[in-house]
Amino acid sequence: MDEESIAIIIKTLKHEKIDLVVTLPEEPTSPLTEEIRRDPYFTSVTVAGEGHGISLCAGASLSGRRCVFVTGIAGLLVGAWSLAQMGVLYGIPVLILASYRGDIADHSGISGAQLFMFQQIGEPLLNALRIPYKVVDKKSDLERRIVDGHSACQGFGTPLVLLLTGDVLWSNDSTA
Amino acid sequence: MVKRFDCLKLLASWMDEHMLTVTSRGGNAREWAHLRPGGANFHSLNLGTCLGFALGVSLAFPRRKVIAIDSDGSLLLDTSALVTVAEVNPPNLLILVFDNQSYANMGATATARAADLEKMAEGAGIKKTGTITTLEEFGTVVRKAFDAQELAFYVVKAAPGRERVKVDSRFIHGRPMLENFVTVVRNHPDYRGGFTPAKE
Repeated sequence: MDEESIAIIIKTLKHEKIDLVVTLPEEPTSPLTEEIRRDPYFTSVTVAGEGHGISLCAGASLSGRRCVFVTGIAGLLVGAWSLAQMGVLYGIPVLILASYRGDIADHSGISGAQLFMFQQIGEPLLNALRIPYKVVDKKSDLERRIVDGHSACQGFGTPLVLLLTGDVLWSNDSTA
Repeated sequence: MVKRFDCLKLLASWMDEHMLTVTSRGGNAREWAHLRPGGANFHSLNLGTCLGFALGVSLAFPRRKVIAIDSDGSLLLDTSALVTVAEVNPPNLLILVFDNQSYANMGATATARAADLEKMAEGAGIKKTGTITTLEEFGTVVRKAFDAQELAFYVVKAAPGRERVKVDSRFIHGRPMLENFVTVVRNHPDYRGGFTPAKE
């Protein structure tokens, strides 16, 4: 993720008064979470597992603290149990920004077999969990998608995922 | 070993109306709902989700005591939460793990076996930890932690079984319980806003 995407995301989170950012660092979004960690506006929590990271966001969100969970497709897989509990069972709004690992724009160093697994399972998992999601692959859409996603997850009463890919995530080497 | 209900009865007598609680499923939820029918209580979180949820509540209400009433089986499903809790170190969070050494709803099924849950919490970096084996200890040690502004974690060795209590089951599970929690929280003097429930 490049500086322009990072700047848009940070500006939009502040506009939305989202000041609690929860993450388990992963490669493409780590420049974003590092920048957030340095910004005194945010309370940044680095979790040791995505399951309790999602539960943490649910507890905070339901209690009135605006927050976002930053992860990747693997984090959604690991956190599926908590997503099912907080989403299907309780309908708690949690905004999630997830790098779309395994999208055809993913030029990171992990194996093609691993990427293919993410590509095959990511979106079907979200559909199975009845979690709305939107693929965001253009920087020009990023601000609007975050604002709309935040509003929609609160209005719908559900976790909601923005899958970041294309020039939002892979600006320098993307073919998307 | 202690009787969980006796400990919870003591705990309920210490609570003020603005404190918040989060419980795991089963006897923890039923007994606590009976003892503290009002107030901000989120009940019946499923295995592995209680501690993370309580941490989130503690970050939303930093000036209020938040109590996680968890169980051994639930904690074991996501012990990595201990690492996160230790690093965040919220001074308003008190964690009580009632350890009956079984998945009680299914009868005698082993949970931690030879593992020491207190040492796991200590090893994760939580500075104030303990294991409670008598009601007297609960009344003194846990009370002190309850009054302090410091993250604390206690394993309470509890006898299997649950107290037969009257409780309206609708308010310890699912959406009715959640709506009750939201209503109380939205009227809390420290509420910062942010949650808009879905329209029916």
